[in-house]
Amino acid sequence: MRNLIKLLFLPILSISLFSYVFINSIQPKLGLDLQGGISVILTADEETEPELIEQAVEIMRTRIAAFGEVQEPEISISGENSVLVQLPGLTDQEKALEAVGTTGLLTFRPVINSSLQLGYSPALTFTENPDDPENPLVSAPSGVDELTGLTISDDPSRTSYLLSLSDGYPIIYQLGPAVLTGNDIDDALAVYPSNEWIVQLNFKDESANKFTELTKELASNIGEQRKLAIVLDEQVISAPGVAFDVSPDTGITGGTASISMGNADQGESANNLAVILRYGALPVSFERSSIQKVSATLGENTLNLGLQAGLIGLIIVSIFLFLYYRLSGLIAILGLASFGALFYSVIALLGEWQGYTLTLAGIAGVIVSIGLTADSYIVIFEKLKDELKIGRSFKFATEKAVKEAWNTILVADFVSIIASVILYLLAVGPIRGFALTLGLATIFDLFYTRMYISTAVPLVGRITDNPRFYYPLSRKDIDNV
Amino acid sequence: MFKKLFLGTTEINFKVLGGKFYKIFIVEAVLFIAVIVGSLTGLLNMNLSVDFTGGTTYQLDTPYTDEDISDILSNTILEVSRYQTFENSNTIIFRAVESTQDNETQFLNYLSNKFDVVTNEIEFQRVGPTFGQDITEKGIRALVIFLTLIALLISLRYEYRYSLIALAALLHDLLLTFSIYVLIGLEITPSTVIALLTILGYSLYDTVILFDKLKDTQKSFKISNLTSDVLNKTFNEVLMRSINTSLTSAIPIISIIVIGNFLGIEGNLADFAIPLLIGIVSGTYSSIFVTVPFLSKIIKSN
Repeated sequence: MRNLIKLLFLPILSISLFSYVFINSIQPKLGLDLQGGISVILTADEETEPELIEQAVEIMRTRIAAFGEVQEPEISISGENSVLVQLPGLTDQEKALEAVGTTGLLTFRPVINSSLQLGYSPALTFTENPDDPENPLVSAPSGVDELTGLTISDDPSRTSYLLSLSDGYPIIYQLGPAVLTGNDIDDALAVYPSNEWIVQLNFKDESANKFTELTKELASNIGEQRKLAIVLDEQVISAPGVAFDVSPDTGITGGTASISMGNADQGESANNLAVILRYGALPVSFERSSIQKVSATLGENTLNLGLQAGLIGLIIVSIFLFLYYRLSGLIAILGLASFGALFYSVIALLGEWQGYTLTLAGIAGVIVSIGLTADSYIVIFEKLKDELKIGRSFKFATEKAVKEAWNTILVADFVSIIASVILYLLAVGPIRGFALTLGLATIFDLFYTRMYISTAVPLVGRITDNPRFYYPLSRKDIDNV
Repeated sequence: MFKKLFLGTTEINFKVLGGKFYKIFIVEAVLFIAVIVGSLTGLLNMNLSVDFTGGTTYQLDTPYTDEDISDILSNTILEVSRYQTFENSNTIIFRAVESTQDNETQFLNYLSNKFDVVTNEIEFQRVGPTFGQDITEKGIRALVIFLTLIALLISLRYEYRYSLIALAALLHDLLLTFSIYVLIGLEITPSTVIALLTILGYSLYDTVILFDKLKDTQKSFKISNLTSDVLNKTFNEVLMRSINTSLTSAIPIISIIVIGNFLGIEGNLADFAIPLLIGIVSGTYSSIFVTVPFLSKIIKSN
């Protein structure tokens, strides 16, 4: 019974995981080199503070999310002063790159109206539909998307309808033309004078007047129209209202303003806003130190090459094992097939749950591991042959071979595991993908050796005592040694 | 003969053979030193990829004539340092030395106009020289730590002289692959560096299995010292496993190279497969023919 569990545990596990993956159509998450896309390394000056790079990465993430058509972008800090941006499956690469790497346009625009008041985008007007009272007719001004009610291509010198996501729920603002831009700002700081966070904003001397005039106008309004929207790249970052104690006759003077940010998040949003106000977009400027573009067709070709090579390799190895080791070869073929199914499922699931992406180097690791896994079978089968040659019975020989081969395989696999762990910890980018698949495969190999092969070989050894079923050798050949 | 190989009853006297292979090993060592000195002094040209030298590459699929290529080589926008074409395929790869971003975009448009291919279909790569250096530096660091650990492991399980032999076999495989690369002029890419690290794994794996077998034979002879008999019995028996394992490891890799060549695909996977294949063949060779001469020395000293 215990042996039966040992024998069947891994095959059943692999079949069930594979079915789970297959039924839920979970596929391995493909890296950029396999599905096409663009990968850029942006490098900042060497003395740049890590904090600033973290802020820049945050800003890049929101920008690329706003870009829309990028599926699963990955932006991560790599090394001390570099950022790795990976945009898979992207068509408009130059535009996306610019969105990520360059400093954006920051503007201050008076709010005319907002969806807070209306519930819908202020751009849309609804008229009753005589044919279908449930669905009223929608009309929108030119340049505005009828579905979303947002301006399609923003021109800061005209009225537009833009989205804000900063409050945790979407608000659409109708905004007047830009009055001030990021160039008018001298400095911005997040401070905590008492009880709540405040963003202290200072305008340049020559712009102070413009700001006073603007606040005079805002202070004379009521409701949403007292608000001033801070817009970065077609998105409303924040829309603070002018306080009620500001007189419409004087406005806010002195070229300084304070934006109350509340106390809810320990100053995080205040800090973010201050950073955006200070730097327009990115707190540091980056240089593109490496760009890699992979066309979708090349990615697909490479993937197919890897898969075909892996499959053909597996088939030839199977034929070889069967011809050479016969019945035991069948154990190896079933074991390798189960190993393949388990490995595929785990990689697919790692992609689904942990975001692990399978890259070319990862596939190479898989292909290499086929050889190493097949070797575990070979070591056992050869050991069995040695035992038979000494004249041991089949039953005894299989058990002894399994036990002794385990030590050899353990040491050899241990070497591979050390190699993968060190490569994974110390190396960069593509080498890591390779190390992970190799390490994973080696660990699986240990489990298969200990559980599946160790029980299957003695079991099959009971079928017959005729060596011809196990090797291309007759009993006489073996006895003659 | 085959039956003997299958049975592990070949009667090759490895100790005698080892003496002969010692000479080959010395010839190889001289070759390695010559290649290393040659490439360091610049006499031999290491074909380093753009990842190490910095610059740009453009890869496109299009029908072309020799005239097109000479046009491009004499263009005034970028200095094209090298180009590569392939049999049975329309792929061309141009490599240019580092330049400004403007020039690179201009050259991309120039290629796009010249061959009537949309810019998106041209695979473009721009790399600073730091990328390749970074990978190499980290690779070497990983290597040093790995080798120290492995040497310790082997010394503990077998004996310290064995770890030196394992390192010699390893060094042999790495240097042989490197020398072939330099002498044939194959391009060295970051994938090659990864492949070299893998070869290291293969090589050690093979050597460790061999040492284990030596230990087993010693046990079955009930002796604690390595003798010529132990050596010969072990190597005759292990020969078949070495051949089988190399075959099963090499088959998937050969299929990458063959299928890749057949489909006209050039790229990272093939960059990876070729050094691996060289490494596996070399690893099988060295696990027997580099270790035997050294093991014979141990026998003599015993």
